[in-house]
Amino acid sequence: MAEFVVFAVFALAALAGAFVMLVARNPVYSAIGLLTTMFSIAVFYVLLDAHFIAAIQVIIYTGAVMTLFMFVIMMIGVDRDEDTSERLPYQRPIGIILAIGFAGVIVVAGSGAWVTGSASFAVPDLNGTIETIADELFGTWTVPFLGTVFLLTIAAVGTIALARYGPTGPRPVDDGEEPT
Amino acid sequence: MQNAALLPIAPELVLLIGMLGVVTSAVLLGRDRREWGLIAGVALAVAAILAVMQWLLLGGEPGTLHYSARGLSIMRAPMVVMDAYSAFAGVAIFSLGLLGLLAAWDLVETLGDRGAEFVALLLLAVAGLHGMAMSSNLVLLFLSLETASISFYVMAGFTRDRIDADEAALKYFLLGSLASAVFVYGIALSFAAIGSTTIYGAGGIRDFFSNTIVTERGVLLVGIVMIIVGLGFKVSAAPFHQWAPDVYQGAPGGAVGLMAAGVKLAGFIAIGRVLAAGFAAQIDQWASIIAIVAGISVILGTSLAAVQTDVKRLLAYSGVAHAGYILTAVTAGIFGISAMLFYVTTYAAMLLGAFVIAGVVTGPREGPSSFVQWAGLRTRSPELAMAMAVLLLGLGGIPFTAGFVGKIQVFTAAASAGYLWLVVLALVTTVIGLYFYLKVIKVMFIDPVADGVGPIEASTTARTVFAVAVGVTILFGLAPWPLLDIVRDALPL
Repeated sequence: MAEFVVFAVFALAALAGAFVMLVARNPVYSAIGLLTTMFSIAVFYVLLDAHFIAAIQVIIYTGAVMTLFMFVIMMIGVDRDEDTSERLPYQRPIGIILAIGFAGVIVVAGSGAWVTGSASFAVPDLNGTIETIADELFGTWTVPFLGTVFLLTIAAVGTIALARYGPTGPRPVDDGEEPT
Repeated sequence: MQNAALLPIAPELVLLIGMLGVVTSAVLLGRDRREWGLIAGVALAVAAILAVMQWLLLGGEPGTLHYSARGLSIMRAPMVVMDAYSAFAGVAIFSLGLLGLLAAWDLVETLGDRGAEFVALLLLAVAGLHGMAMSSNLVLLFLSLETASISFYVMAGFTRDRIDADEAALKYFLLGSLASAVFVYGIALSFAAIGSTTIYGAGGIRDFFSNTIVTERGVLLVGIVMIIVGLGFKVSAAPFHQWAPDVYQGAPGGAVGLMAAGVKLAGFIAIGRVLAAGFAAQIDQWASIIAIVAGISVILGTSLAAVQTDVKRLLAYSGVAHAGYILTAVTAGIFGISAMLFYVTTYAAMLLGAFVIAGVVTGPREGPSSFVQWAGLRTRSPELAMAMAVLLLGLGGIPFTAGFVGKIQVFTAAASAGYLWLVVLALVTTVIGLYFYLKVIKVMFIDPVADGVGPIEASTTARTVFAVAVGVTILFGLAPWPLLDIVRDALPL
């Protein structure tokens, strides 16, 4: 019961954080909403006995990534509110109706049995220790782990390709300074 | 076979090495040199040869599973599958990638010192496309899908001097991310229902369905539907097609051919793997959903293509209709796979050829390609007009083209699966579809040339691409049997 209460509280917190992140006008509020969501997810990991992942979640996401976000937001400037006016008048009500309908489908589907048969192989005993995670990550999941190499390379190459394009055209390669 | 443990992922490794070679040579030799084009071409060609080797090594055997947990006697959670299906997909995807590189070369020449990044992204995208074909695990499938998609998002926005290219890239990115999120949610729900994300092997999805009588389908069904939505977005099947016209029209003309054809090819191969092989036992559940999506696609695609006045938008909407035609074969499950492969392979070649001609006519960096620019193409460049006419007739499904053979194949598959209403619907829309293909031909051959435009000269690279596309269209239209024999054997494990 206690586990359920903790889950319910932090599930609502995660949803509220995600909602705030989307609708807040001030980017700092958005960042703090995202922080709430990420921290709540860390609590889910604790509930699932994945203590190491929970620690990683807090250190990397709520720690490092969010600090980076805040740093960028502060650099760009926090006083600029985003213009959230919409030119499609029916977009928002239709979106809300579809979202409610989608949530309804998920609730109806999820109210039945989840695992519809006996799982035919035993889930490895993940006690959340570093050893078991490493064993899974570098044993079973080696190829997907290495597959992220491609994604990270695309991030690097793509960022260089798109960001080197200034307002006046492609910037020269050895241009260390920002054009003004 | 056990000795060739690296062979299944060797094409990806070759492309990764080629990508590193491209970036390194751009730094070492100077960015104005074009050596990296050669490196990328060699990498793609070697990858295609490796895929042929996979096919030959399998030699008609069903296939092998790779990269599972170490030291287990039972193959648990294999990540990669090497079967005739993935080997055929590899040959098709890497050949298409090589053609796509040639097609994009006019664009690369204009990109100046950013060309190396473009070619590097192209190699990564092709690696992702093949990853979708060889994944035996839904998580790896998702990773491959993202590898291909994110590369294409960036490629769509390469010409940032045009505001519509920025719009196309951003629209593609936002809608594509939403589709990816839906796809992941689908994987999560099907994992919740089954207890595994792996298709093959002990405890995998197929194993689960052969050992379990599924009584309550709620979560599983929602998961399958969301997987269909996610993949349906990537192949621009209606009603998940809204991004396609704007992206095809806004993206740089030299890049859009590979973006459109490659994603369609790999997307349908992934659909075949997941539905016809993975969820084969649940065919009664998803076949009707696929049939409905196919029906909506052929109707919407055909009717919206008929009112377009821009060749790229027209090709985008006709692509929606073609996604519908290909999905009619998927309703037959494993028995429709051969028809699907024949159709999607020849369609990808024709689409790439049509887009490269559009790139030549309106410029490799440009986006919109209105009918005005195509008027009287016959007098400006008879060669381009003839090639485009053949490709359009092939897309329309005129007899003695590959498009006709492909349509017969997919309609036969759907009819044998009992979806006669869908076949009738698809036949009717095929006939209506001829109208807008012939409309473009009329614009090219009958309409007068606009004032102040001279003859057009296609570059050697572009000419190579559409010559191959025209060759595929006519050759497999007149003599489809060699390819039909091959796709008959190219079944998933």
